[in-house]
Amino acid sequence: MIESIENGIQLVTTAVCTALSVSRAVRSGKRVWLLLALAAGVYFLGDLYWQLFLIFYGETPDYSYIPYLSWYAGYVFLLLLLLEVRGPRPSVPRSRLLWLFPVFTIGMGVFYLQWGDWISNITAAVLMSLLLWHTTDCVLLWRRDPPEMGKRCVADAIILFCTAEYAAWTSSCFWMGDTLKNPYFWFDTLLSICFLLFPWALRKAEEQ
Amino acid sequence: MNYIENVYICLSAPLLIAVLCFGGKERRNLLFLLAGMTACLLSSYISTFLAAVQGANLQTAAMEIAPLVEECMKLFPVLFWLLIFEPEKKSVPGCVLMLALGFATFENVCFLTQNGAASFLHLLIRGFGAGTMHVVCGSILTMGMLLLWDRLWLRVAGTASLLAVASTYHGVYNILVSQTGWVAWAGYLIPVVTAFLLRLFDRKYLRMAV
Repeated sequence: MIESIENGIQLVTTAVCTALSVSRAVRSGKRVWLLLALAAGVYFLGDLYWQLFLIFYGETPDYSYIPYLSWYAGYVFLLLLLLEVRGPRPSVPRSRLLWLFPVFTIGMGVFYLQWGDWISNITAAVLMSLLLWHTTDCVLLWRRDPPEMGKRCVADAIILFCTAEYAAWTSSCFWMGDTLKNPYFWFDTLLSICFLLFPWALRKAEEQ
Repeated sequence: MNYIENVYICLSAPLLIAVLCFGGKERRNLLFLLAGMTACLLSSYISTFLAAVQGANLQTAAMEIAPLVEECMKLFPVLFWLLIFEPEKKSVPGCVLMLALGFATFENVCFLTQNGAASFLHLLIRGFGAGTMHVVCGSILTMGMLLLWDRLWLRVAGTASLLAVASTYHGVYNILVSQTGWVAWAGYLIPVVTAFLLRLFDRKYLRMAV
């Protein structure tokens, strides 16, 4: 029951984010809004596929290629969105701290191998490494440059999204049942809220 | 037993003759129509093979394997054309839609040979529903590719992600239409509604991209 409510919340937030982004994309004609619409839209479709399967067949899909592909595509669109917001990167040396992200994602991937298959774990680790690497690189770049505070909101929202995703994955490894005490539902709700933050953050970046 | 190869030969023979007779834009459109039908035939073989390898039943194959295989098979001819022939941007949407139409037509013909043509209302709804769904998936790929095609990293990452969008949309449609009653009706209606929305969207956005 709690899982269905939580899935419903995520369906609503991703649908709202998609609708807002499509509306902004049509009015402004800017590619960043189209990329956000695709990111939220593909996430919405993946959630919808998963939820419909649960409703009609009472179980999760046997082969989860389609929903997982859609969630991974969501990460790719978020990465493309970030790179589009950033534009050409200034020739500033990258911080060595960024290497911590591949170490973290690979480490977590190895940990998740106890439950998931290796292909999806490797794909998730690679995509999350790229997303966290570029987002943190942008935060470090824009921190030095106060006029870029608007753009930083986008990067901050993506970092919050990645953190919520990892927290949800990790808490799902220690499943505490379909109750409100299960931290997985709270982290996944935080992930859902991120989809409401993205249009606001992108608007701030656009205004700047 | 459903002899789809025979159906394919029967349908593609006049188109092949027409391809030889026409030239220019008409020939290209006919070739894409034929490519769509061929993609449908190959999808059927590949989905059946993968279902056998995975030990999947008919329902699992239709919901979880076929959408991904079909969207990949529809994408490959377009990708080949875009990468090898580097056509003008404005000619892309028409060709992708012809491919989607060829796919939908052949799929509907196979459905008819398998299930008969007695129920007019069901076939009317299915014809519009499945046909529009393939066109919508083709449109999603086309619009996305046109808007993301100008840089290499956007091209590679964007195309793969758009394939996921189309496959998931297709998968959701397949789940809904496999039910009965209003759920199936909603499933058949969704592509029609999406097609109208995309039409409104592309008037402003696609023209800017082209």
